[in-house]
Amino acid sequence: MTSDGGSGAAAIRVEGVSHRYLPARGKPVLALDHVSLEVREREFLALLGPSGCGKSTLLYLIGGFLPIGEGLIEVGGKRVSEPGPDRGIVFQHFALFPWKTVRENVTYGLAKQGLPRDEQTRRAQEFIDLVKLSGFEDAYPAQLSGGMKQRAALARTLAIDPAILLMDEPFGALDAQTRILMQEELLSIWQRRRKTVVFVTHDVQEAVYLAERVAVMSARPGRIKEIVDTRFSVSGPALFKSPEFVERVDHVWNLVRGEAIAAQGGAA
Amino acid sequence: MARVAARVSDWFGAALWGVIQSGSIIVVLIGWELLARSGLFTAFLLPTLSSVLARVVEDAVSGLLFLDLSVTLYRAVLGFAIAAAAGVALGILIARIPSIHWLFDPIVSIGFPMPKVAFLPVFMLWFGVYDLSKVSMIVFNAIFPVIAATVAGTQGVDKHMIWSARSLGAKERDILREIILPAALPQILTGLQVALPTALIVAIVTEIIMGGDGLGASMIRASRYADSPGVFAGIVEIAAAGWLVIKSVEAIRRRLLVWHQETQAVSTV
Repeated sequence: MTSDGGSGAAAIRVEGVSHRYLPARGKPVLALDHVSLEVREREFLALLGPSGCGKSTLLYLIGGFLPIGEGLIEVGGKRVSEPGPDRGIVFQHFALFPWKTVRENVTYGLAKQGLPRDEQTRRAQEFIDLVKLSGFEDAYPAQLSGGMKQRAALARTLAIDPAILLMDEPFGALDAQTRILMQEELLSIWQRRRKTVVFVTHDVQEAVYLAERVAVMSARPGRIKEIVDTRFSVSGPALFKSPEFVERVDHVWNLVRGEAIAAQGGAA
Repeated sequence: MARVAARVSDWFGAALWGVIQSGSIIVVLIGWELLARSGLFTAFLLPTLSSVLARVVEDAVSGLLFLDLSVTLYRAVLGFAIAAAAGVALGILIARIPSIHWLFDPIVSIGFPMPKVAFLPVFMLWFGVYDLSKVSMIVFNAIFPVIAATVAGTQGVDKHMIWSARSLGAKERDILREIILPAALPQILTGLQVALPTALIVAIVTEIIMGGDGLGASMIRASRYADSPGVFAGIVEIAAAGWLVIKSVEAIRRRLLVWHQETQAVSTV
């Protein structure tokens, strides 16, 4: 919605989207309530909110995995109706194909593009190297640590060169050290191969550190509460100690806290 | 030289470990021989293990053993194969098509725990006493665990895995073959591993009841002729055949599931 010009056209346009889901028993629940959002070309946007606020649902709607009941989502000017290789996705629990090796996982999408065999292998190697999994090409996912699995999933998604990268709490299942390493590596990859990134998280610090803008969502039914600019003059690890970073984290945390309490307390 | 020595000692170690692991069976067999020789039982009630093994060898030399074995295995494997193919297909349909789920789910729920051998007289009325009724009976018994495992396995596939494939460019029609079936394979194989011994058991039961040829029929004939070593030889032959079948299926499972966590774990026996 906020447009400061210069940053280019909207890569993703979400307009008046509502979403209801039907629990196993009981009445339909309103998960998203008239959400509107624009994600700019090649920007890194974080969707932040308490658990159950519908941020993952919004991501799945953009991905085309769920039917859009009400409202409109456009990606690259085209209406979203089903999943496609223009929108790559990385899930919290990796969703690797466990019966395929790392290399076979990465070549899966490349084969779907109809690339010749040797080109598939060459490109898979390039992205396995990019995520620093060299030497584990023939390992099965069950033989990898959590961080390595997420690297493999990232390589699989990046290899098909999607214009948009959708990330659903990708580091949520990792231990604290691995998470910090993965954050830095994601940033460095993103700086080298700029893509539009929509990054769902409930970690305030992670959102402020990684993203250029943070869209804070309200407790269910989810709405966009505020969009905070989180670009800083400092970069790298020094950022964590800079006053502007600390101040911005505090501001975002105050926005989220009320919503988190509302989410904990339920509808009351 | 050293490498050959290491090979030999590896092999020797493995053989020794095999003997230790099957120790309980050896104890039972020795106990059998001692008990039979103790004079507590007549040779008619409990023939010695050595006389039974001699009969097994005799059957093997005369070729009768292989004739019986091949007939029984033919029925069991044919029935199992039909149950496997039909069970997997039906399981997929039940898991994916609501109307078929509505139709078959209650039938499977009732049929799975039911003692299906109770239908044997009906099958004899319908199909006679030859291969058709025997194989039908085997299919009828072996298909339930395959259906149940396939339904559970295909319904349990992580939707994120399917979504990943779709966003990597897979079409909806590719998903079943490329994602759902391989992801459900461990559970489907478990169902097949239950179905195969079931098939063998039912093959022998039908042979015992309906007569004719095969291991079961030979046993019941031996029993009617009061040929005690013949009956016990049948038990030893069935046990050996069953063990071989189970072991080969386990080997196939390990081959197919090299990627699975269980393959990395230490296996028992």
